[in-house]
Amino acid sequence: MDFDVINTTTKDELLTAIEDHQDTNFRIGAGYTDLIMNLRFQPTEGMTLINIAQMKDPSFISIEEQQDHIVLGTLVTASNIVNSPLIKLEFPVLHEAALSVASTQIRNSATVGGNICNASPSADMAGALVALKAVCCVLNSKGEERIEPLASFIVGVGKTSLDKNEVLKSISIPRNSGDQLKSGFEKVGTRNSMEISIVSLAYHFQLDESGKVVDAGVSCGAVAPTIPFAESACDFMVGKDLDGLSETDKEEFAENVLKYATPISDIRASEWYRKEVLFNISQAIFD
Amino acid sequence: MKIVFKINGKQVSMEVKPSLLLIDLIRDVLKLKGTKPGCLEGECGACSVIVDGEAINSCMYLAINVNGKEVSTIEGLTGTENPLHKVQDKMLEHGAVQCGFCTSGIVMTTKAYSDKCLEEGITPTREEVKKSLEGNLCRCTGYAKIIDAAEAVYKK
Repeated sequence: MDFDVINTTTKDELLTAIEDHQDTNFRIGAGYTDLIMNLRFQPTEGMTLINIAQMKDPSFISIEEQQDHIVLGTLVTASNIVNSPLIKLEFPVLHEAALSVASTQIRNSATVGGNICNASPSADMAGALVALKAVCCVLNSKGEERIEPLASFIVGVGKTSLDKNEVLKSISIPRNSGDQLKSGFEKVGTRNSMEISIVSLAYHFQLDESGKVVDAGVSCGAVAPTIPFAESACDFMVGKDLDGLSETDKEEFAENVLKYATPISDIRASEWYRKEVLFNISQAIFD
Repeated sequence: MKIVFKINGKQVSMEVKPSLLLIDLIRDVLKLKGTKPGCLEGECGACSVIVDGEAINSCMYLAINVNGKEVSTIEGLTGTENPLHKVQDKMLEHGAVQCGFCTSGIVMTTKAYSDKCLEEGITPTREEVKKSLEGNLCRCTGYAKIIDAAEAVYKK
């Protein structure tokens, strides 16, 4: 590995570095748990790395509590999320997803922005954030911001809607409106640690006082080129009483989730297996 | 690129190649060979060191990013007065070391986790101890003795 590095510690330095490198090959580095592997196996000659790991700007590094949203800076690590009492309380799905990322050492470095921008269909934190209807705040080199739902920000395997002059600044999660929650992250793999999901399911149901679903968010991971938001499954659940779900309801919910799965067969699992597992875990979350 | 940081309590300032990895800085520049290069892809944890209180894989960390931070390696855990750290003592006591290649990584990970538990006043369960070691592979011991040793660190 041999490349130039531009170290940026403030937003202005970052924007200038991006602007100055529009005609060259550059990458942005944050937690490096994926990027180092890429750089090791790709030619890096003539490449510039814009290092944002030492950013001091709070909007990039902190978890901010606003009235309607919780805002995660792009450099918030998986460990920051795991250790946040606020996230554990309000968004258990995200807490569980962050805790299921790789290992302690990786979680201490890996950032939420990197997990999203790497655009892997099996990304755990991104999956939870899709289910939470999170919205990305994207910054361009002129300092202008745009907002895009995470579900459409990831456009394919390894691809996002980011332009070359843009960077992901933060992710906003709408706060809960319901009184109670049923929220969690199911991850299926061949072992518990260091695992890349074969199938994952993120769900976040907000309930009213009587236990009826008032808002639903469901996404499935590693079964499509993106992380689909299972809208029809969510629509199906709104208004339902979670304690009074029949076996047919559970099946219908799982069938709705399955509509969004177009998996491939690869080294980790076959298409058939992924569909079976997705159906089964979708049904089982209510048992 | 110039970096200033603390290694095992000692302030250093040096010029490093921007693409240098932390593991190479530790082993090849600082000549601290206790940190082991295993898989070099973040799977095995043999290269674990502590940066600002958190265990990280030094094989996936740019050396320039320790600027302004405090790095501890296995060499910095003890001095002549206390030749072994509590974690090391417990590992010996429980026979948790065989070939030893993974040991420094396991000691550093356990040290970081035990400091955190101590700070928060928590005694972790066996499951939590296992979870804390999920980023460290050992091909000799079968883990039971390592987990026993780590668990003993938390017992009063």
